[in-house]
Amino acid sequence: MNLAYSPDLGVIGPALPVLLDGLWLTLEVSTVVILASAVLGFPLAVARMSKIEVIRWPAQFYIEVFRCTPLLIQLLWVFYALPALLDTTFPAKLSIILALTAHLTAFMAETYRAGMQSVPTEQIEAAQMLRLSRFHILRYIIVPQAFRQQIPSILSLNVSMFKDTSLVSALGMADLTFQGNILSTQTYRPMEIFTMVAILYFVVAFPATLFTSYLERRLLVSGSRGAPPPSSGLRSTLGRLRPGYRPPAVAGTPSTPTAKMSQPEGA
Amino acid sequence: MTTQETNPSDPGTGTTSLSKTTVDVLPDETAFLHTRGVSKSFHGRQVLKKADFRIDSGEIAVLIGKSGSGKSTLLRVIAGLEEPDAGDIHLAGQTVVQDGEYQEAWKELRGQVGMIFQSYTLWPHMNVLDNLTIAPKRVLGESKAQLLERAERALTEVGMAQHLRSRCTQLSGGERQRVAIARALMMRPRLLLCDEITSALDPPVAAEVLGVLTKLKEEEGIACVIVTHDMAFASKAADRLCFFEDGLIKEDAPPSEAFTNPRTPGLRAFIDAIRF
Repeated sequence: MNLAYSPDLGVIGPALPVLLDGLWLTLEVSTVVILASAVLGFPLAVARMSKIEVIRWPAQFYIEVFRCTPLLIQLLWVFYALPALLDTTFPAKLSIILALTAHLTAFMAETYRAGMQSVPTEQIEAAQMLRLSRFHILRYIIVPQAFRQQIPSILSLNVSMFKDTSLVSALGMADLTFQGNILSTQTYRPMEIFTMVAILYFVVAFPATLFTSYLERRLLVSGSRGAPPPSSGLRSTLGRLRPGYRPPAVAGTPSTPTAKMSQPEGA
Repeated sequence: MTTQETNPSDPGTGTTSLSKTTVDVLPDETAFLHTRGVSKSFHGRQVLKKADFRIDSGEIAVLIGKSGSGKSTLLRVIAGLEEPDAGDIHLAGQTVVQDGEYQEAWKELRGQVGMIFQSYTLWPHMNVLDNLTIAPKRVLGESKAQLLERAERALTEVGMAQHLRSRCTQLSGGERQRVAIARALMMRPRLLLCDEITSALDPPVAAEVLGVLTKLKEEEGIACVIVTHDMAFASKAADRLCFFEDGLIKEDAPPSEAFTNPRTPGLRAFIDAIRF
């Protein structure tokens, strides 16, 4: 570790507008990809669950291809190989959006499928006994529960996708990582620049992960009986991140020796 | 009531026993439901072997027997959740299944059959009112006002009127099961199939559910076929007790007779096994 290194925070000010431009592009690409995948993942999940083999197999093949190959290879393939194969050219941004959407759609489809298959069979049979049609069972019974159950997974996937967009810098897209790379070579200050890049990614991703944890707890609570415990709110989620946080003792039970030991001195 | 007879001296499940226990039920047009020679296999294992069963309106028949003896399969076949391999089913005077094939009449008459399951199958993301009204709204196309009125009536019927807008996750096991009955009633069934509906309930709560079914039988003339392992429930609820063994109904008698004087060795052994 180079302890003699003295940070120059002065480079951040001039770099910030360029980095924010990159962040804007990152957010733009992420939003389009996430929305498109959220929509396209559903028919793919339904096809993946189809009893008809000619529908199920291609869907399964698609999902496995995108799950079992690196995202960077997928990006490179769509960017370079696909235009060559089709003997055409695509705008760079479109190629990147296509590749990322194709990738995320495969994962979204699997998440939707897991959610739909988690609905107990007896709930579906009860709906059949009430003569609800397949469409109505899907629309009113399966999808709302599946979606509700998979919201945390979907949000996690989307946060991952937001971070994975940094790979597009390898293709020359002026996203946040690309801009950071350029600035670091221009200023010879990679520590300051890349720390700032990391902070910008964190500022966007952290609230999303916090919201995911909050939702997870809310859904867990609403799935069980009784009133939600006081610790299920967003404020509590933030509170858990405080240094020295200890979960409150259950009413009527004494504090455990471990809890006492872990209490910081002077607290 | 069926006229099945089994030779008590023949405890086997071979061909002789099979022929004696399955052929004596005559086609009966007065029965609300009548199955004849219904068979069903899963992965090469025959779970139902030409089961003959009938039930009249306003009657409660309880199916008992060891696990895997075919009780629930018969229920699921009657419900249309499993397609039989062979046999006929007559419902409300019409043939709905012939030689294992569903007939056109099934589409019209399946609404007369409701089913309540072992686990509480209320849809947890909806409140009680939505659970009750979604099917009649989508299937029968009833108006909102009509549905609300009927939902209130159905819940009153099962003693749950105060829970119209409760969330299902806030209800206890017995309450959920009563709401499940109310939900089935919303489709105006004439036959209720109950698959081990009290298995997860305490005896007092099970008694409440039994009270609901008895009331429906007496006041609405609804027929109930109940699969249970709870013999106290069976003895209180049943007009008829049907003992299943190896995919066949081996004995069909009123509970007082079946419990005190079982005619078949299988039922005798079954009762001995559950006696303390």
